Amino acid sequence: MSKLIAYVSQYGVALVFGLVLVEQIGIPIPAMPALLVSGALVRAGKLSFLALLGAAVAASVLADTIWYLLGRRYGHRVLKTLCRVSLSPDSCVRQTEGIFEKWGMTSVVLAKFITGFSTVAPPLAGAMGAKLPAFLFYDALGTVMWAGGGILIGFVFHRAIEDVLSFLEGLGTGAFYLLGAALLLFVLFKWWQRRRFYKALRMARITVNELQNLFEKGEKPVVVDVRHEGERRRDPRRIPGAMTMGVSELDAKLPGIPPEVEIVLYCT
Amino acid sequence: MLIERGYRRVRPLAGGLEAWVDAGYVVEEEEIAS
Repeated sequence: MSKLIAYVSQYGVALVFGLVLVEQIGIPIPAMPALLVSGALVRAGKLSFLALLGAAVAASVLADTIWYLLGRRYGHRVLKTLCRVSLSPDSCVRQTEGIFEKWGMTSVVLAKFITGFSTVAPPLAGAMGAKLPAFLFYDALGTVMWAGGGILIGFVFHRAIEDVLSFLEGLGTGAFYLLGAALLLFVLFKWWQRRRFYKALRMARITVNELQNLFEKGEKPVVVDVRHEGERRRDPRRIPGAMTMGVSELDAKLPGIPPEVEIVLYCT
Repeated sequence: MLIERGYRRVRPLAGGLEAWVDAGYVVEEEEIAS
């Protein structure tokens, strides 16, 4: 038995617990590789499927409940903070709200399979007033499907995973450098992706003072409130004269807006 | 999506509604039918 396999066999459950916890807290270190390797070791009889699944569910529910409670207490401020620090720029507050309003608590289950959304969904559920028992049920269900799926894939493709482990074992300490470099590259790529996204966003944005100046100069930009209806119900304030326009309403409302006019979009 | 439909002057508001309110600018209440 190789040292690497022996190490993972010995600490596999703790490793899965730690990595799932870290990922669900929002740190961009993926837990899926550990789940796959663990699955291969379940096949080899070195780890217990139920112990691994229990560790993954415990870690995920622990981290998600903290986010849920923060969302319940601080509402959308938590979501805004998460969107700022998240390395997945495509999961903005409005998009996640849209998913939640469309799918309800089922989105907590689906969230486990969507990068970025898995960290945003728990505080969103809290901010949108989901009941704790229902949240815990759906969160645990999603984790069972996600982590259980990962372990089962590792179980089925154990030969390929054992080949990779043997290759890494052959590299000796170089394997740790290789894995570290791969992880560093992954984080750097996500960070660069986020920087590029926010740079483009900053260049294109209008500040509140610039918008007010437009109003004062008598210019009439079309101001569009793009919040979902649920959010507008919770906070019915809007910028004077703002119109609402969801994606499904584009065809109905756009013909009334000339293409040369300036359009300012806002959410929370 | 607006840009794809020919609208070239589309800009998001930095900070959203919260920044507008925090700056002390006027807001109005929207009446949403239940």
